[in-house]
Amino acid sequence: MKVYIQGIGNISIQNTFRQTGFPEPVWYNESYVRCIDPDFTNYISPNEARRMSKVIKRAIASAKTCIAESSVEMPDAVISGTGLGCIEDTEKFLSAMIDNDEKFLQPTFFIQSTHNTISSQIAINLKCNNHNNTFVQGGISFECALFEAFILFADNKIKSALVGGYDEMTPSYFRILNRIGLWKKKFEGSGNLSNSTTPGTFAGEGSVSVMLSSAKNEKTYAAIEAVEILYQPENIVESIETFLSRNSKKTEDIDLVVMGMNGDVKNDAIYKTISADMFGAKAHAWYKNLSGEYFTSTGFGLWFAANCIKHKYVPSYAALNSHNAGKLQNVLLLNHYQNKNFSLILFSAC
Amino acid sequence: MAKQVLVTGLGIVSGIGISVQETLTSLLAEKSGIGAIKYLRTNHKDFPCSEVPLSDGQMSKMLSVPDNMPITRTSLMGILAARNSISDAKIIPDKSLRIGFISGTTVGGMEKSEQFYRDFLENDTCNDYIKIHDCGACTEVIADYFGGFSYVSTISTACSSSANAIVLGSNLIRLGLMDCVVAGGTECLTKFHLNGFKTLMILDKGNCRPFDAARAGLNLGEGAAYLVLESDESANARNADVLCKVSGYGNACDAYHQTASSPDGKGATLAMQNALVMSGLKPSDINYINAHGTGTINNDESEGTAIMNVFGNCIPPVSSTKAYTGHTTSASGSVEAVISILAMNEGFLPPNLNFKNPIEKLSFAPVRELIRNVKIDHVLSNSFGFGGNNTSIVFSKIQ
Amino acid sequence: MDELILELKQEIIKVLNLQGVKPEDIDNDAPLFGDGLGLDSIDALELIVLLEKNYGIKLEDPGKGREIFGSINIFAKYISENRKK
Repeated sequence: MKVYIQGIGNISIQNTFRQTGFPEPVWYNESYVRCIDPDFTNYISPNEARRMSKVIKRAIASAKTCIAESSVEMPDAVISGTGLGCIEDTEKFLSAMIDNDEKFLQPTFFIQSTHNTISSQIAINLKCNNHNNTFVQGGISFECALFEAFILFADNKIKSALVGGYDEMTPSYFRILNRIGLWKKKFEGSGNLSNSTTPGTFAGEGSVSVMLSSAKNEKTYAAIEAVEILYQPENIVESIETFLSRNSKKTEDIDLVVMGMNGDVKNDAIYKTISADMFGAKAHAWYKNLSGEYFTSTGFGLWFAANCIKHKYVPSYAALNSHNAGKLQNVLLLNHYQNKNFSLILFSAC
Repeated sequence: MAKQVLVTGLGIVSGIGISVQETLTSLLAEKSGIGAIKYLRTNHKDFPCSEVPLSDGQMSKMLSVPDNMPITRTSLMGILAARNSISDAKIIPDKSLRIGFISGTTVGGMEKSEQFYRDFLENDTCNDYIKIHDCGACTEVIADYFGGFSYVSTISTACSSSANAIVLGSNLIRLGLMDCVVAGGTECLTKFHLNGFKTLMILDKGNCRPFDAARAGLNLGEGAAYLVLESDESANARNADVLCKVSGYGNACDAYHQTASSPDGKGATLAMQNALVMSGLKPSDINYINAHGTGTINNDESEGTAIMNVFGNCIPPVSSTKAYTGHTTSASGSVEAVISILAMNEGFLPPNLNFKNPIEKLSFAPVRELIRNVKIDHVLSNSFGFGGNNTSIVFSKIQ
Repeated sequence: MDELILELKQEIIKVLNLQGVKPEDIDNDAPLFGDGLGLDSIDALELIVLLEKNYGIKLEDPGKGREIFGSINIFAKYISENRKK
């Protein structure tokens, strides 16, 4: 089965919003960074915006942009992934509850704290009564959303789906996650992440909406042929081989392997194993040096892979080796979260 | 050709019992689990709730969870209910079988985060609980207790989360992507939820009265429930006892307001209609509706209107069982799926406790008292969440 | 009373995050809900919190809010008659 990427809206720490192709990369020396936000008043009226936290404004803006780019007017499904939902409002409610000893709490922050409020506000904004769902599976939340869309396409339940990955990194959550060693102790800049030999990565945030359709049009980026989610696979190399053969592909057919490496030695080791065992002679690229790491950073990975295919090149700053990516006919995107949850996405040029 | 989705195991933990048998006994004895708060530490003890009658320590002991293991009440309840469902189905999660685990939850590890948030910000004493704060981590703790799952996913659509977990699990089996899926949800009572619902002013200080003209809000509950969903091949191959089948479901979005349901019940109407269409059943084939019926002014009127839209003049018996279990939020979809299946298989209609007078705008009144020896072939279970995430599921007897 | 009315308008703008609205834009007699400022049921709940926090007035019935928040003048009058702080 092929599902076509008809539009992408991407708000990130790069200048990706409403850009055609790859923008000039922005490199960061500071370890805590926020998205390069557009002017939201172009997408959301002041009366709608007044209760929205950053992550929701971004989600609406990226969703609207991706719809405008596609030829779909009303998606048959709105499916979102988010690791932490509107953590900003969750923190506001939580802090007030603790500080005020359960008094004078504001309903707005509670309402906005539910993870599904992002998907639901997209639906309210679009007046879309169709299938609506929210996945919250840590670092593979976006892939879980994509996987459900795929199931609905395979079942002929839908002909289009708006799939998104949305997460924000608040200052306090950045600090909290720092306690458990997610970020680098000594950050040497996002441009130097690939040479890193230490644990921890570079934090990011982002909002990526993708319009998938069973039909392709002249603007289609690429096709997605298969998505797979694996939990604690016993042998990931074998799992990838099975995945490829189930989709009538051999390792030789893959022109580019896009990997969710993030500069954390504990995270990156398995990619090196996969690469050495399976794809030694193939071109490799990554994207988390551009997006930073966050729960739904694979959304950015999808944008990256789709643009490589559409524009027929791999930007040098994202290449992990000097192998030629050939015609960029077949691209495999691999991601994992804490060596437990793995996702495989197979793209092809159309 | 899509495969049949069979239910081969049930597990449930709520204020009315910590097993399927206890739950059935309470339902038949019209015994509610709602009462004064015992376990949750909060200033708002004046709101009655339905708590699972076990402390965290008791659950840890029952489950042989090590004392020093960081775990939330939500995960403990989830393990207990999932364990019940797995042993009911007599199945062993194993990588040789394609078996998945899908859980619905809303605030994940908030029960611990609300205790330790200051520490999270200021020191390293509670770092182990940072790791289990997010919803996905809560699900993984449950999955890892058993091991053997090759697919794990978490859904968060507020109060329809676990219903959507059942829908996704069913789809995976229908399309032949999994042989077996343990699907449902878990949610413990938290200060966060109690205070949150309090700010919305939809908590009744008395016992909730779904579908009553004088209803004044909901009572929160906590609970966990899982269904073992299985393909017919897998169930046949191991000679499993089949409890019923999942014959249809619908997911639709009200797309009306962040908290309020639309007055015309559009999303709820669509969810029920889609479920009926998929099951190939006529409205008159449905013998019982287990309503979402929270007891809030808004939900019950909107849901009632939607039921009238779909069933017209032939509305089957309807009841909300939230006056038994309280509103178990994200778990309510699977908690009520289990109750619906029990009602069908045991042939009884659970009463809508505390009901006195019908809502003027509605053409029907809910089931007032327990009715036994009823033939139920098809039951419809509704689960509606904030933000208009509405899901309805039809369960049918195996002919 | 004028002082209370101004204070109230400033608080409403702040709590409800009414971007671009200035106190003088709010008509003292115009309805706050529906067509007026375009407020909804969640805003009513926010104003109930404001009443309790700033003026010590506790509303148990959210339905009552609708009467009290009829207009700025009605709101201010209710506060001045019932305030506990």
